[in-house]
Amino acid sequence: MIEEIRNKAKELLETKTVDCVIGYEPATDNLTSRPVFIYEPSQVNRLIFDETCVHNLSKYLINRRYKPTGIVAKPCDTRGINLLLNEKQLRRENLFIIGVVCSGIRKVRFNQIENSMPTKCQYCSQHTPVIYDFLVGEPVTEAPTHNYSDITEIENMSPAQRKAFWSEHFDRCIRCYGCRQVCAGCYCYECFGDELDPLWVGIRIAPGENWVWNTVRAFHLSARCIACGECEHICPVNIPLMLVNRKLEKDTLHLFDFEPGIDTEIVPPFATYKKEDKLGTGE
Amino acid sequence: MAVSHEPRIVGFLCNWCSYAGADLAGTSRITYPANIRIIRVPCSGRVDPLFVVKSFQLGADGVLIAGCHPGDCHYTEGNYHTRRRFALLRPFLDYLGIDQERFRLEWVSASEGKKFSEVVADFTETLKRIGPREI
Amino acid sequence: MTKVITKEDLLSWLRQLAEKYAIIAPVTSNGVTLYKSVGSSEIDKINLNFSKTELSPKNWFFPPSETLFTIVKDELPRIIPASVDREAILFGLRPCDAKGIALIDKAFLAEPADVFYQEKRDKTTLIGLACLSPCLECFCTSVGGGPADLTHLDILLTETAEGYITQATTEKGKQLLTGAPRQEKEIIPPVLPSLNLILAEGITELMPRVFNDAYWDRVADRCIHCNICAYVCPCCYCFDIRDYVSKGKIERVRSWESCQSPGFTRLAGGYDPRPTKGAHFRQRWYHKLLYFPPIFGDIKCTGCGRCVRSCPVNIDIREIITDVQRMKV
Repeated sequence: MIEEIRNKAKELLETKTVDCVIGYEPATDNLTSRPVFIYEPSQVNRLIFDETCVHNLSKYLINRRYKPTGIVAKPCDTRGINLLLNEKQLRRENLFIIGVVCSGIRKVRFNQIENSMPTKCQYCSQHTPVIYDFLVGEPVTEAPTHNYSDITEIENMSPAQRKAFWSEHFDRCIRCYGCRQVCAGCYCYECFGDELDPLWVGIRIAPGENWVWNTVRAFHLSARCIACGECEHICPVNIPLMLVNRKLEKDTLHLFDFEPGIDTEIVPPFATYKKEDKLGTGE
Repeated sequence: MAVSHEPRIVGFLCNWCSYAGADLAGTSRITYPANIRIIRVPCSGRVDPLFVVKSFQLGADGVLIAGCHPGDCHYTEGNYHTRRRFALLRPFLDYLGIDQERFRLEWVSASEGKKFSEVVADFTETLKRIGPREI
Repeated sequence: MTKVITKEDLLSWLRQLAEKYAIIAPVTSNGVTLYKSVGSSEIDKINLNFSKTELSPKNWFFPPSETLFTIVKDELPRIIPASVDREAILFGLRPCDAKGIALIDKAFLAEPADVFYQEKRDKTTLIGLACLSPCLECFCTSVGGGPADLTHLDILLTETAEGYITQATTEKGKQLLTGAPRQEKEIIPPVLPSLNLILAEGITELMPRVFNDAYWDRVADRCIHCNICAYVCPCCYCFDIRDYVSKGKIERVRSWESCQSPGFTRLAGGYDPRPTKGAHFRQRWYHKLLYFPPIFGDIKCTGCGRCVRSCPVNIDIREIITDVQRMKV
């Protein structure tokens, strides 16, 4: 598997099809992995792929949109690429996607590999990349399943419990904006969180501002979040952000029968409307 | 609750229908509760979810979005977009701890001064019943 | 003979101290260990077996956000300065974290001293816990610290099977310890762990030579420019100030900021003296390893390894130091 990736990367760089391949290499703990940018064919042996390759590399493509780039992508990451293509942020002709069939990755922190899968993999039903130029591994055909038991659990809480649940989590947010920086869907030239006039989110790192940040960040990703789980994975204070994102995913599926990142040509639900929409409100 | 609570409602009214409707309520001398603070927007479709979230953060007890009836939008389609956004935002805010009764979408045309006053009266009544929002 | 306090005595002593002092101690909840204020009834929640807290204890002196003063509009506008009402004890510091506080002290207490910081600092006693099982990402011994370094603490506790060995270094610490129920015991102090050494010596001299190297752009490829490293760091102290205006009241608020955030050096008109990702990224290391040492005499790093652990893309200060040393100029 790793050999296939390396050979392909080497070929791409040698033929100058791309001038950089984005992939994974071992991290400094020699246990986990980290993103790497390979520019020289002689460097391809640094590339690896294993169960610790959590990062969604599609974010890096935004900075390289005008340069031919190769990328190693898991199925969830390819949804990120699809999302960006759909939103006209990337040029397909500049991309070479090395898709990897993935059966789930591990919960990983620096120096620590847990024996369990992250939330995103537990609920995943997309084990074959949705878009690729070269596929590593045997494609699997499977029917999509949707399990939102974790979301229903919170929905069933009393309003007071729910409020307490979220304030406990959002209060410890330090607004490092890691969730935004790592997200493939967050590419605004100026984020509402950075805007100074009007000041939507104040610089104060306090419950009220944290609530606005976390709510609107998630809502800006409604019908766009591709559930790669990176925001939750990198959060330094362990806020369960996927519980927020997946609520929107669940409602989007229910209301608009839409899943982001599956198709590059489909019009996303918030870019269109139907006169006869039956959404249980304002008919 | 012993002390009666006067809720604060932020109302985003579309310039072409609902704002004119509110105006009509005024000129027709129809009374409605003074609990609403009206913000005129060009179209209900202009209401960014951020406006709603920000209103709640700054202490609003309720937020009302009012626009033209479906099919009547001055810009043809603004209110259809609002409807979609609202349908997703309302349960989401509820999920994050803001009772969904505190957030409403209503269609009020320029001739519906009476309806406007009823909407505001009813909304105020509801908010009084659920009591002040703890921030 | 050494003076020892048993675990039970230690907790009851803290419970007693909590009546008078605000106690800030490591508490684990939701999978993260953070320094939190604990009341006398919550002393049992203190986690004594933590390895390292997710966020550094700088939060206590230099909080994520603090109001510097408030202006109230009465008849005449009045300025109400912020103040600390209670003396506090910061309990369970690792020696590296204490060093972090000492490093921030250099910046905040240099003339003119930051009064808000100073007040909090003066009213706080630091009680440390020696590090007996260091994390894999730590390297305190490489930057002049140590797992039982008591230089920057008021009191250091070292855990043994028979209780905690107590050592007070400052007057403040000695005074506080007089009230502690201690016993004299013959105890062999535990063997301190040895840590991986990276040779950081001489790095300050090497840094200017590689300023324009393409290396920084290459590593910055991977950097996602979040603020995590700066916010978890015990000795990063950049901040931003803004006025919050509401009816009849203005508050001046100071909040954390990081050199990695997109708007950090952007000037009015949109000009940015650090325009590229690489220049942005480089700043953090140059501040730590080159700009800080000549002014304050030390590398701005405690070797706690938090940035290494929390970095989403494994940007490792140890690797950067060794890379710079290996670079041919």
